[in-house]
Amino acid sequence: MAVNSHNNTDTRNHEIGAPAQAPHVVPVTVNVTDDFPGGVAGFFARWQSLLTGLGITGRKALGPATTLRYPHEKVALSPRWRGALRLRGILGLDDIPIIEDTPPEYNALIDGLYRADRLPPCVGNCPANVDARGQGYYLGEGKPAEAYELVRDRNILPGVLGRICHHPCETACRRNYYDEPIAIRPLHRHAYEEYVKVASERLEPLERTRNRRIAIIGSGPSGLAAAYDLMKLGYSVSVYEKEKKPGGALYSGVPSYRLPREVLHDEIDNLVTLGMEFKLGVEVGKDVPIDYLLGEYDAVLIAVGLQESRIIPVPGHTAEGVTGALPFLRDANWKGDPGVQGKRVLVIGGGNVAVDVARCALRTGATEVRLACLEGEEEMPCHPWEIEEALDEGVIAMCSLGPEEVLVDDEGKVRGMRMRECISVFDASGRFAPQFGDEYTEVAVDMVVFSVGQGPVLADVVAGSDLTLTERGLLPVDGTLFTTAQEGVFASGEVVTGPGSAIASIATGHEAATSIHRYLEGLDLAEGRVARPVPVYDKYQVAHIDGVEANRRRVTMPMAKPEERATDFRHIELGITHLEALNEAMRCLRCQSEVCVGCTFCARTCPDYAIEVERVDDPGERRVTHYELDLSKCCFCGLCAPQCPTNALTHTGQYELSFFHRDLTIFDRHEMLRDGAGTRATGRDGVHEAVREVPR
Amino acid sequence: MSGLAWGAFYGLAAGLVIAVAALIGVWGERKVSARIQMRIGPQELGPFGLLQTLADTVKLVLKEDITPRAADVRIFRIAPLIVFAPIAMSLAVIPYAAGFAPLDTSVGVLFFMAVPAISVIGVLLAGWASRNTYATIGGLRAAAQMISYELPRTLSVLPFVLLAGSMRPLDIMDEWRWWWIPLTLIAFVVYFISSVAEVNRGPFDLPEAESELVAGYFADYSGIRWAIFMMAEYGGLVAASLFGAAFFFGGYLGLPGALGVIVLIAKATLIATAMMWVKWTYPRMRPDQLMGTAWKVLTPMALVQLVIVGAVIPWL
Repeated sequence: MAVNSHNNTDTRNHEIGAPAQAPHVVPVTVNVTDDFPGGVAGFFARWQSLLTGLGITGRKALGPATTLRYPHEKVALSPRWRGALRLRGILGLDDIPIIEDTPPEYNALIDGLYRADRLPPCVGNCPANVDARGQGYYLGEGKPAEAYELVRDRNILPGVLGRICHHPCETACRRNYYDEPIAIRPLHRHAYEEYVKVASERLEPLERTRNRRIAIIGSGPSGLAAAYDLMKLGYSVSVYEKEKKPGGALYSGVPSYRLPREVLHDEIDNLVTLGMEFKLGVEVGKDVPIDYLLGEYDAVLIAVGLQESRIIPVPGHTAEGVTGALPFLRDANWKGDPGVQGKRVLVIGGGNVAVDVARCALRTGATEVRLACLEGEEEMPCHPWEIEEALDEGVIAMCSLGPEEVLVDDEGKVRGMRMRECISVFDASGRFAPQFGDEYTEVAVDMVVFSVGQGPVLADVVAGSDLTLTERGLLPVDGTLFTTAQEGVFASGEVVTGPGSAIASIATGHEAATSIHRYLEGLDLAEGRVARPVPVYDKYQVAHIDGVEANRRRVTMPMAKPEERATDFRHIELGITHLEALNEAMRCLRCQSEVCVGCTFCARTCPDYAIEVERVDDPGERRVTHYELDLSKCCFCGLCAPQCPTNALTHTGQYELSFFHRDLTIFDRHEMLRDGAGTRATGRDGVHEAVREVPR
Repeated sequence: MSGLAWGAFYGLAAGLVIAVAALIGVWGERKVSARIQMRIGPQELGPFGLLQTLADTVKLVLKEDITPRAADVRIFRIAPLIVFAPIAMSLAVIPYAAGFAPLDTSVGVLFFMAVPAISVIGVLLAGWASRNTYATIGGLRAAAQMISYELPRTLSVLPFVLLAGSMRPLDIMDEWRWWWIPLTLIAFVVYFISSVAEVNRGPFDLPEAESELVAGYFADYSGIRWAIFMMAEYGGLVAASLFGAAFFFGGYLGLPGALGVIVLIAKATLIATAMMWVKWTYPRMRPDQLMGTAWKVLTPMALVQLVIVGAVIPWL
């Protein structure tokens, strides 16, 4: 199995660094004579094919010629010549498209943009398709409140997600290719911070236009997203939450050094202002049976998330001092004391929750925090920046170790942990199948926290309804329509997807809301419904940023000092300033918008220095002031157009006319915008001056 | 003596006719190919660019006549004429107008089929004398191709000999009836294809395949000698078109004098245009396809046509 491990390493390196392999080439051999049947049929088929060929050339011969009639058309045409390059739009003259639609139609909009190659990678890679490009545009125009509201349409808690999101958008950001990705997540946070100042003016209760009521069980991100979508459609929505405060896992699980509770509660308060009704402290299944909800409401959405930490049943797992991640985090968040003062803590698991647990343990007074996981250092399932920050704060990571036995002392308390060397975690086909070696490690600890996964607790919730759970306690749910076995009951969030990110939960909330809307409207749930496209984006190699100008670099989020922040629950990301946010928003290239933003990458690519671009970056006044293509330098190599991140610069394909009039060797930005209509290679209508005035 | 003078006069006349035909033919070819490729073609010199070929001719005549050092000089120099002369001769037996063919002979059909075949020797000689591998291969290909296609071509005109009971072209013209057109349709197709192959035009231009053999058997020729090769090609095209127009489409249709000539030339022009159309439509064939077409398609088709005509004759 050592070989296996080696293989794993290779695959990983390939995925991270190496460029995509050359596409598989299928050799095509055409043998004309084999295309015909044999015998008499073949005889006639051959003749028919010959006559077809004559027909094609005959028709071509009778059609209009595509070349010019000299010298007459040459003179009439040259001032109208369009050239091989043109711009589809220019910032300042054309608007950036904003991706906006009502919740049920949003998927179709995204799908259409994707098919038309007009979907920005950040939007495509986001599970909820948040329009990060539109956010950047509004922020750059000095309209943070509009940016916030645009983001809120698809990402119900921008201020919260702006602090905790794992930002797949930034991974896909095309700016990775040029220098560094846009700081989309900090911009969410900035938009929220600006929005807070004007929230009271902009918040108005949503109008209730439909006489239907919907109950949502669970006030986590998924439930809130579904509730908001349904409110926008005019339904009245009640959200049931068993805790005293709403927020679900955001409230009970996410440590407050990453997410200050004021932000969470403020954003949820805004939702209340919009008309969302919360029933706090009501536990469905105990205080209220689900039957009651089914009778009282027209539809019910189960979005309760995962409440139970899994604990690996190794010998000694029942000893005092062994606990799961969720109770630990709850204690740390609510009581501020999970009982680790002065203790040595070992966290089992390598995911994001495990890192949260380890960092909370540090903050609540543990003397030594270790984190043990099966995976090697490079394969840890948590996000690299999470473990990096944890290591900075003093967490000790112990990789490639599998739990073997909890060592218990005479009083039944934990005294240590015995772990076995793990050689490989996944088998050749990528399934979880750990292989262990013969080396054992023992560490002396006082507390062991298992953070190896979570499961739902649904038995109470579904009691009394027609819903049944599987043997493992899971609720069978349709993965695309989010329906359950009982009509009118839907489910979304981590109940359906398993442990995942907040933004992925929000995405399922939107889908579930669409299903509920269709159900209440009496429409077929699946018919004509567009599934969210799942684009595949290139993995970027780290760009070389030596020599890149400072104003082109990504803003750096100021962080609290590791040695200080590890002592209490202070916020560790300190936030960016207004000016930094403006600059960051302007770094956004507005990918696929087909509007030139003056990024200058075409000019930087041009080997002949034929392109000059200048722009003004004042907020609200952003525009490209100068775009010039000098045809006396241009060699028509075409390198510039594929470089354009917005697809604004395009080849016209009119190379036949690639010579020009004496007085028109430099194309300015207006000339670059002129479309090719009427200047097809024939140039026929160029002879008639009345057709179109040439902008000069 | 008078015979020799008459021969010289006739030779000059045929040369002139072919030269003019080649001038117009090259212009026509350029126009047809341009239109098929959605271009305009020659347009600057003269109306519709008609004088373009004349200008090219001047250029050709003024170009240096190069003889390769290794060439067999005498054969090299005389080969174009050996190619050109038989083709010019074949024009003599075509019935141009009612009761007029320059050489009125009772074996006219045989003459038209047999004499141009001599030009194969010229092609072979040209390829051999150039001392150039490309040219030699081109010459050998040409020999194989032209001799192969002699057979279906000759078979394709036999129905007329059967129908008219004579090999004298003027007799056949006198006997010609309109329903011969549908009756000999297969023969026309065979005649058309084998004629294209006879004059080495696309898609049967293997002997002069540019991309494979540079220019084939005339790769080393330049100036006026190259022009003679080209005139022979267009002469062959003109002769085949005129002969086809006369036999397969009734020639002058019994119209008297100049009017009949004009009708004949109009029909021949259509056939020549169709040959150009074919050339600019199809890609070049492979050698095996070339031979297969001659022996396995065209020859059986011509024989089938003979059987059909033979079966009809007793009913006439």
